[in-house]
Amino acid sequence: MSNMKKILSFILALMMLVSMLAACAPKDDTGDDGTSGPAESSGEQGKEEIKITEFDKDKKYTYNSWQTGLSANWNPHDYEDANSSDQMSYLIDSFYTFAFNDELHPMEDTSRTPFDGYVIIPSMAAGMPVDVTEEVAKEHPDWVPEGATSGYAYAIPMREDLYFDTGYHITANTYVEGMKRILDYKFQNYRSTDVYSGTYGIAGAEDYFFQGHENFKSFSDMGSSYDDYIANGGKEEDIYIDIGGFWGIETADGKTYASVTDDTMIRDPAVPEGADEDYVSAKYLWDNYLGPNGVLTSYTPGYAGILKSYPANVAFEDTVGFYAKDEYTLVEVFKASCSGFTLFYNAIQDSLILVDPDIYDKCATQQADGTWASTYMTSVETSPSYGPYSLTDYQTDKVAHYSRNDKWYGYKDDVNNIYKDPTDGNVYRLYQTTDIDIQVLDSAATAKNMFLAGELATYGLQADDVDEYRNSEYCFNSPGPNVFFTLLTGNKDGLDAREAADGFDTSKEDIQTILCPSFRKAFAVSFDRQAFCDETSPQNIPGYGIFGTTIIYDPDTAAYYRDTDVAKKALCDFYSVDTSKYSNLDDAVDSITGFDPEAAKELYTAAFQESLDAGYITDEDNDGKCDQTITIMYALSAESDSMTRRIDWLDKAIVEATKGTPFENKVHVGKTAPLGSGSEFADALKAGSADVCLAGWDGSAMDPYNLLTAYTHEDQAYAAEWYYPKQDMLTLTLDGKEITMSVYDWAEAVTGNNTKAQDGKTYNFGTNDADQETRMQILAGVEGKLLETYTYIPFINNGSLALLSQKVYYVTDEYNAVMARGGIAYLKYNYDDDAWKTFCDEQIAEHGMIQY
Amino acid sequence: MLKYTLQRIFYMFFVFMIITFMSFILIRMLPLPALAPNDPHKEILEIRREALGYNKPYLEQFWIFLRGIVTKWDWGTSEKLYIGRDVWQVFVEKLPASMIVNFYSILWTIPVGIALGIVAALKKNTWVDYTISTLTMVVISVPSFVYAFLIQYLLCFKWRLFPFVMKAGTDYFSWDMFVSIVPPILALSFGVIAGFCRTTRAELTEVLTSEFMLLARTKGLTKTQATVRHALRNCFVVVVPAIFGEFIGIIGGSLIIERIFSIPGVGNLTINAINGLDYNIFMLSTCFYTAIGLAAGLVVDISYGFIDPRIRMGSKK
Repeated sequence: MSNMKKILSFILALMMLVSMLAACAPKDDTGDDGTSGPAESSGEQGKEEIKITEFDKDKKYTYNSWQTGLSANWNPHDYEDANSSDQMSYLIDSFYTFAFNDELHPMEDTSRTPFDGYVIIPSMAAGMPVDVTEEVAKEHPDWVPEGATSGYAYAIPMREDLYFDTGYHITANTYVEGMKRILDYKFQNYRSTDVYSGTYGIAGAEDYFFQGHENFKSFSDMGSSYDDYIANGGKEEDIYIDIGGFWGIETADGKTYASVTDDTMIRDPAVPEGADEDYVSAKYLWDNYLGPNGVLTSYTPGYAGILKSYPANVAFEDTVGFYAKDEYTLVEVFKASCSGFTLFYNAIQDSLILVDPDIYDKCATQQADGTWASTYMTSVETSPSYGPYSLTDYQTDKVAHYSRNDKWYGYKDDVNNIYKDPTDGNVYRLYQTTDIDIQVLDSAATAKNMFLAGELATYGLQADDVDEYRNSEYCFNSPGPNVFFTLLTGNKDGLDAREAADGFDTSKEDIQTILCPSFRKAFAVSFDRQAFCDETSPQNIPGYGIFGTTIIYDPDTAAYYRDTDVAKKALCDFYSVDTSKYSNLDDAVDSITGFDPEAAKELYTAAFQESLDAGYITDEDNDGKCDQTITIMYALSAESDSMTRRIDWLDKAIVEATKGTPFENKVHVGKTAPLGSGSEFADALKAGSADVCLAGWDGSAMDPYNLLTAYTHEDQAYAAEWYYPKQDMLTLTLDGKEITMSVYDWAEAVTGNNTKAQDGKTYNFGTNDADQETRMQILAGVEGKLLETYTYIPFINNGSLALLSQKVYYVTDEYNAVMARGGIAYLKYNYDDDAWKTFCDEQIAEHGMIQY
Repeated sequence: MLKYTLQRIFYMFFVFMIITFMSFILIRMLPLPALAPNDPHKEILEIRREALGYNKPYLEQFWIFLRGIVTKWDWGTSEKLYIGRDVWQVFVEKLPASMIVNFYSILWTIPVGIALGIVAALKKNTWVDYTISTLTMVVISVPSFVYAFLIQYLLCFKWRLFPFVMKAGTDYFSWDMFVSIVPPILALSFGVIAGFCRTTRAELTEVLTSEFMLLARTKGLTKTQATVRHALRNCFVVVVPAIFGEFIGIIGGSLIIERIFSIPGVGNLTINAINGLDYNIFMLSTCFYTAIGLAAGLVVDISYGFIDPRIRMGSKK
């Protein structure tokens, strides 16, 4: 599951990256007369001639950016982090890309206004992919499932004018060479898994990568289960367990998997010596947890499987479904059927394997310990570009400078790499930016000063800046797809243990009351989220649902889940909004604040009685007031001013909310010692050693269905210790038919797994098995059910505030989750570098700084 | 003197080994940074860690570590920040930027600091002395990063006299580079100036009130002659070793100043290694700073003997 999250996070990152590369060129370089000033050229869009307004060729437009670090490696085969992908993004391109919807690139949905969505258009490809499944099935029947006639193999026609900036001509065979190298086992390339693993990997890539080696394959990976395995004649003694993933241990020789027959005891470092399960074996884990008599059989498909041996010395051509049909046609064969957005996504991802084979091979060196390392894409010399920019200067941890790559075809493309400006109606080329300069700055104060002096293009506002700049016309809010919720622990055992511990005086203190349903409901309505955002984190907006405002449910149409009627209805139902009082659902949703001080007081009063009845608190003097003080401990990851401000705000709000109730001045929000920014704070919450925190899930910006599993899978869910989605039943009416399943099963079904409902029938509501309307109904139903647990109390929808330099402007102010505001591709300039310097000098002479 | 020097070098080596050993063990006891499930780097990292003896007892690991350094000057490879790169190479790349800033800094701070100290001593108990002494106390009390922000705000932002950050590139002796590092040089300088000023003033004040100074004056020397020939020479017995110590410290860099002025030096590298859990780089940094500190102490101590022939520590009578 965590891997899935990572992959989905990557997908989002990739989408953002590709959107930066969207389409093509900043200015025409077909002419060489060096003329300056606006000019027009002609391009063709179908048969219609288009007048393109050219940017001034003699002027320099530098985008001065900054970040807190630069990656030392932006090798497309091995990059890992966001800095790497950012640095790489300027140097690469892909077969297909995202472009804003405008008159030149309209969406199918004609109701969409320009620049509020996106379309996928060819970039390095010369046209759309052609399904060649039947043809491939005849030649290579082992690559395509028997009987399949479509969806598995696609031929991608390529442009013929593709070059690296080194002059190396790119053909279909160059891609094949790239694929051979990313799948070279000796390099253990980080991105190799993108190609060989997962549902949409390339057929045969895994066999080629692991040739001559062994690899653990879980039942899930094989689309199988323990029962299927045994039914098909498999022997239990041949099963292995992913002990690393399941239990966080490894064998003495460093292996993360072991046979279920292996009874070698392994020390579990997470358990104190002498405690239960301080030593465990694979056999023990199988017998007690994963095996047929174990107590965690839901984990079996993911953590149990077989050890697969792969034949050695296999030929790439006979093994991997990735070949050049001719010089400019590449054929890709996928392990699973795909089409639409998924196909384009896969084609985009696979096109990132491209490398300059000559330079790549020179960069490979064998280390003293026998391992191989590559210096490809670690310096100017080893960074050939086939994207819009070339790397012209790089100093580790200091600066990266990119300049236009004149060999990039996009600057001469008059079809895809243009857009119609929504303001003036003119058609421009993409990429007006001629140079990109990325500085490493560790100090936000330095960055702010540099921005105000005109030396940087953007500055992300810090908490102290918000009041001063939030209303600036140059301040842009970028809403995120995620909601952070206040997570209130419900781990009774953990809370009981805390009360039983030495030093906890139950006559004066209590914490178990937070288990009372009325208290949890009261807590949920005690906070004015808008005030919280305004006073502690103005870049955020209030969040009311499990999913944020910009999460996309249908990547083919760029449609937002929160804009749909079912999503709005789910919120109205949970917050008890009488929709009949409003003219439309939007108004009804707008009325939601999540803050109801009167209801909170009633609920706190009810909670007092519940807690008394449960024996958690006392009222010895019968004054109708709680004798104990309840301090709800916030699970602090790290000390910071902003966290202190948030916790103080929560404390003040809950003191206010409990006024006039039996808990008046008896409920506070405190904070734990810093627990660490990894999973420690969540672990503390799960264990009941801390009580509340603001938490959320990132990633899955275009797949809310998959995000559901973060709430239903025990290994992911924050509330796994006290909320049991397998036991929480939900009935939904789909196509007039009532279906009842557990919340867990609904989430499984909507993510493409076969699940059995109470009526005994098996259902699958995955992408290929159900329409979007049905799937969204399920999504909204599960969202409503999760909200009703009062464990995940939506609080804020994440976002960011940043100032944009007056030197540049966005072609659209509307934020789009995939395109953002167009990135470098669509960025336009009010001033070229010389004019900007003059402007800055004047502004600073007059005002001391540039005015925002 | 030779014996004393050898003894001190031996002790220095001994202390260095103890600190290195303790750091090594503590670092190896930390849990290794977790890799994502199915991280394809796992096998490479396992091979590398196997080569470094990660699965062996700590003493054996330390032996492998030392053997690698002594026989191959192998400090290991970076596992997080610069994956697969030799950490020594990375470290050496960072040294010049740190050294150049510190070098320029001490080049002018020492004479200025000493000069101010002399003036204060000669003008003892006058407004000049009070002013210098008060400023010295203020400067010493305020951490250098405070000056750094002030300097950056005033010189770079308000008055636009210098760039905000160090210029990119490795042309360390170009004019543009020099101009770009003036702000960090100034930020580093105030503390050093104040330190030398205070030391010089204290020593010189004491020497000036000595009886031999009175004798020098009664022999007919002018005040200037007596001060330059006798007082300064005596007070430099304390000041000059401190100068040597400063020069040794040049290569140490400055953790905070490097971050504020975006200097790609060893100080910044150390902080990044700590934040990034790159243990091999951090281990090298730790050894480096330990060696710098010990070497500075050794040079200071030994230099006393050279500066003042009357000091012969550890020599036989």
